[in-house]
Amino acid sequence: MWLTSKIKQVLLVLKPGKVTLNYPAESRPVPEGFRGQPAWDHTKCIGCGGCANHCPARTILTRDLCPEIRILFYDGARCMYCGRCADVCPEKAIVMSPEFELATGDRDDITQSLELFMLTCQRCGRCYDLEIKNAIDKLDLRGYRYDSLEARTVIRRSTERFAPDVLGETEAYRRPERIGG
Amino acid sequence: MTKDSLIRTLRDGFGPALTVSEGATPKRLVLDIDRTAFRAAALKLRAAGGRYMVGVGSDERDRRGAFGMIHLFAFDKDGFTVALRTSAPAETPEFDSIAPEIPAAGWTEREYMDLLGFTFKGNPKPKKLILADDWPAGIHPLRKEVPYNLVPPSAEDVAYELDEAPEGTTTVPIGPFHPSLHEPAHFAVYVDGETIKGCDYRGFMTHRGIEKLCQTQVSYNEVPFVAERICGICGSVHAAAYSQSVEEAAGIKIARRAEFIRTIMLEIERLHSHLLWLGVAGHLIGYDTIFMQSWRVREPIMWLSERLTGNRKTYGMIVIGGVRRDITPALREDILGVLKKVETEVGGLKDAVLKDTSIHRRTKGVGFIPREEAEAWSLLGPVARGRGVDIDVRRDHPYAAYDELSFDVPVMDSGDVWGTLVVRLLEIFESIKIVRQALDKMPSDGPLLTEVADVLPAYRHGLSMVEAPRGESVHYLITGPENRPERWRVRAPTYTNLQGVPRMLLDNQLADFPIIVGSIDPCFSCTDRVLVVDGRARSRRVFARSEIEALGRGRRKP
Ligand code: SF4
Ligand code: SF4
Repeated sequence: MWLTSKIKQVLLVLKPGKVTLNYPAESRPVPEGFRGQPAWDHTKCIGCGGCANHCPARTILTRDLCPEIRILFYDGARCMYCGRCADVCPEKAIVMSPEFELATGDRDDITQSLELFMLTCQRCGRCYDLEIKNAIDKLDLRGYRYDSLEARTVIRRSTERFAPDVLGETEAYRRPERIGG
Repeated sequence: MTKDSLIRTLRDGFGPALTVSEGATPKRLVLDIDRTAFRAAALKLRAAGGRYMVGVGSDERDRRGAFGMIHLFAFDKDGFTVALRTSAPAETPEFDSIAPEIPAAGWTEREYMDLLGFTFKGNPKPKKLILADDWPAGIHPLRKEVPYNLVPPSAEDVAYELDEAPEGTTTVPIGPFHPSLHEPAHFAVYVDGETIKGCDYRGFMTHRGIEKLCQTQVSYNEVPFVAERICGICGSVHAAAYSQSVEEAAGIKIARRAEFIRTIMLEIERLHSHLLWLGVAGHLIGYDTIFMQSWRVREPIMWLSERLTGNRKTYGMIVIGGVRRDITPALREDILGVLKKVETEVGGLKDAVLKDTSIHRRTKGVGFIPREEAEAWSLLGPVARGRGVDIDVRRDHPYAAYDELSFDVPVMDSGDVWGTLVVRLLEIFESIKIVRQALDKMPSDGPLLTEVADVLPAYRHGLSMVEAPRGESVHYLITGPENRPERWRVRAPTYTNLQGVPRMLLDNQLADFPIIVGSIDPCFSCTDRVLVVDGRARSRRVFARSEIEALGRGRRKP
């Protein structure tokens, strides 16, 4: 019994032979519909902030510099490639690219930043809200957003109007590290 | 005991202290009881044959001035669950402990001592379970006033007090980092010569605070993606369990086709998880041939899930209301092809493994627990089925499309690691059978995703259980007013199985430690999901903490 199972094991090992791929010299093509790193098309994006609101990792940030310019900032270091941003984008401005070889020593290699010119029409920030049918996908923030691009954190606060003190507060924002000292 | 006779016995026993109501479905019984009778009622449910699942504590002071506490029991033979609920006033959150009689409740109680500041009178081991040893007293992170990203100052001179070692034993520390543990956890093993005489466990070192995060930061539809990342293996399991609990709480009915696709994903996940475990088990007993071969067989399944979901892991597929991607006719053929190949290969593996005497010697009689004790500790999944406990959520409390599918639940009576190994191997074939049936029976049309038309009502309760490869995963959800759960409790199978490990280790050889711990397929990441910060405090260190931090911070600066 011992010997037969050993013989079986030898066959088990010999039959398939070598299966290891010669990576990275040759890489396997990714299949259709692969969820790699998201990529933004700035010509399509209307800056509605839907992706930023619904990114589970909170890794898409928005900052309104003035009523006409909104910065959309994607920090790939925290992205988990779920594809939620691409799902909720009403303009199909985000595609999940086949890019997966993303290891890097410099996180700027995997960030993307869009400077969006927002038309002064009042659709800004609201067109997304109107189009969404799913009740639990509603936009939970309206108005101006001042996420901290420095600390790369979403600031859960917005105003209907531009408020310089909130901007100041945001720029000085640090993640809470210690209480008491 | 059937539901009606259970209700009758309890009514007789507790009279007006007890209110009986129907839960979200007829399979959910809800009992509201006075705090003074809480313990007695829990013991009665256990005596009536209820399997203790987990407890859920919640901070409801802002809306009703009280803390809530729920004990969940499953009646597997009769296919229903019981939620035994009580509440305590905000000033005195005290309950009577049920852990002396129901050992599986021990961790739940310790968890809420840490996280919500409850007191459980009579708990046999009221030590810290989850919070770091230097966490300041009086801060209970799951209370609503505590911010999710609070990091209190650390202290240098505190350490976990290990249990008293039994007379005449030596303590062998295993972990927090150890080659036989793939994630951080600390076991203090008390040995007499080579024989293990006891063990104390200190884990929860990598808390990610997922429950708190999802209760305060993200909204309903983002939680599935966070839930998936509770575990590196059971992605679909946690996403499905969470989605089902929301659907139950809010009364959302999803399309049948979506339920079938969920079932297929869950079984594909089981296939890859069992093959992964088989490899790791081989590796732990020093038998790397098995490791290499079963992982080779597993690889086509990973590539298959890449084609199904968009990435190697079974993530990103299941959301509230259904699934995100379809199984097209081409993918269907693809799945069948892969299954055929895997079935033959696993057949070869099984022949080679099951008759190998060296494997017999390393697993038979190792980690033995008799069936009664396995039941008392509420062991789950293959760990329980290898010890003669015939439970399987898929059959006992069907969810998704399992009610339409027929499959066997392998059970072994040997009560040891060998039993769990055989159970897992046989389950691979059952999973293949289930996927094939599901592909056949799946309705050919129907929406993949049912849109949620209304805002979800607040303060509804939902419970869902999913049979993960390692055993039952329980998600309990209380909906909240802010488009996110007010309370979301996750109990992964390892949380329960790990509590039984000290019992499994008893009187075994120290050399068998890796395979015994490995036999439950421990997933410390699933277990360590509750808290807000990681327990970084160690009493002894080579570097000063400030030096390490300075190094770490320097790297982090953009
Ligand atoms: S893929 Fe997911 S995690 Fe990454 S940016 Fe999009 S929504 Fe966020
Ligand atoms: S959801 Fe689409 S349109 Fe809206 S901000 Fe994001 S990328 Fe732009």
